[in-house]
Amino acid sequence: MIEVKDIRKRYRRRDVLNGVSFTAVKGEITCLIGVNGAGKSTVLKAIMGLTPISGGSILIDEQALRPGLYEKIAFVPDHLTMPAGMKLSEAIRFMADFYESWNNERASELMQFFRLEPSDKIGSLSKGTAAKFNLLLGLGQDSDYLLMDEPFSGIDLFSREAITNVFTSDLIEGRGVLLTTHEIGEMEHLIDKAVLLQDGKVSRAFNCEEMRYEEGKSVIDIMREVYRA
Amino acid sequence: MNHYLKLVHMEVHRFRWVIAILMGITAVCQISALIWTVTQELSRRREQLPLQIGNSFQAPAQEQLTFEWAMFNTQLWFILPILMCISVLALYVFFIWYRDWMGRHTFIYRLLVLPTARYNIYLAKISAFLLFVFGFISFQLILLPIHNVIFKLIVPADQRAGSHIVDAISRNQALVQLIPRQFEQFLYSYGIGTVAVLVIFTAILLERSYRRLGILYGLLYLSGCVLAVMSPVLFFAFDAQYTYLFPNELYAAELIMFVLVLCLSVWLGMRLLAKKITV
Repeated sequence: MIEVKDIRKRYRRRDVLNGVSFTAVKGEITCLIGVNGAGKSTVLKAIMGLTPISGGSILIDEQALRPGLYEKIAFVPDHLTMPAGMKLSEAIRFMADFYESWNNERASELMQFFRLEPSDKIGSLSKGTAAKFNLLLGLGQDSDYLLMDEPFSGIDLFSREAITNVFTSDLIEGRGVLLTTHEIGEMEHLIDKAVLLQDGKVSRAFNCEEMRYEEGKSVIDIMREVYRA
Repeated sequence: MNHYLKLVHMEVHRFRWVIAILMGITAVCQISALIWTVTQELSRRREQLPLQIGNSFQAPAQEQLTFEWAMFNTQLWFILPILMCISVLALYVFFIWYRDWMGRHTFIYRLLVLPTARYNIYLAKISAFLLFVFGFISFQLILLPIHNVIFKLIVPADQRAGSHIVDAISRNQALVQLIPRQFEQFLYSYGIGTVAVLVIFTAILLERSYRRLGILYGLLYLSGCVLAVMSPVLFFAFDAQYTYLFPNELYAAELIMFVLVLCLSVWLGMRLLAKKITV
């Protein structure tokens, strides 16, 4: 389980995160929702140790982050993070070289699934193709948790469909997925838990299915209540 | 260790074409200058020979050409590519870090989430940089015997005298600076250079950790380090008349300051990378 406890971060005299707490468990898709600037990406970066926090704590399976845990937790940022001059095959080789949890067989399957060309250079990929390859780099690890930052941001309809299909496949099964988005539309029926961020705080956190059964409200209904209040 | 070596390999691999081009330019400049200078001299001598024969009963024996002479007369074309390499490497001290934050594909995200201690990234970058520096020096050392062979191929045996490579180096100011004759001097020159690179690395990491405020911290750190290594000279030996330290004591004080600056820079750089760096 990923436990985020009361994390705080101040940047340029502004409280970007002001006591954020939530949990994300294995086997569930947890979605951090919020308008632009709500602090969603900062939370993911903080979990991955990519930005320091000024207070609070983050535990992954009851352990504080250390280098070895990067084998258990994969991160898919909102852009591809491999050098532009690298070929896709070289990027896969790089991942295989550094991560013991890298699954080459799955990576090859995903290359075919997303119709990616190993000889293509990263710098020459379209935004949609880059998003698919980015996802491949995250899914290629046999990790327990997968963190995804805005996986649908600025990509075409068919790439969105390809990525959405991943969420209903066995590639995700058994993993704890924590993703951020400000476009909940196509993800609403896939997510198990929603965490709504507003002004650096968690304004609502709920189980989506329970919410639908008990209050008859969708995630978008709750978003309207929170962000239009 | 395994991850460290892989990171070093990756850093070298990323800069391989620049290194190859710089080495190519260096070789072409130096070899061309050598061939041109020697052939010019030989043709000048050939042109002068009939005049000398015509003016005297017997042609005077001409001074023989030596490799040292060739090295002395091609200095400029040795200095220019060496300066170019030094300039590119000086820029690369900054670029080796900033390139990971630049562009659409910020590689630093990936580097920082590798399942290895982050100090390996730091060690890999400084190791790769030192490999480039010593790679260039080695390349220059390899070029010298090649120059010597080319010289011998061009100059007829009766017009040249033998010379030692070490003497040839001492006649070329660029090579004298690059390859000091005493090993001790070599250690000082490259040791000071390495400490300077590590101090700049730490200043860069201060900037990357604290961004706008980090520029100020970085500049203060650079100034502090310069002041620290200058302090023994400034405080104890500024005026030789009033200095109360023996030269070897001053030397020890300087050495201590350099070691302190080196240790502080490495420790701070690694700590910033592990705890404060932000993407």
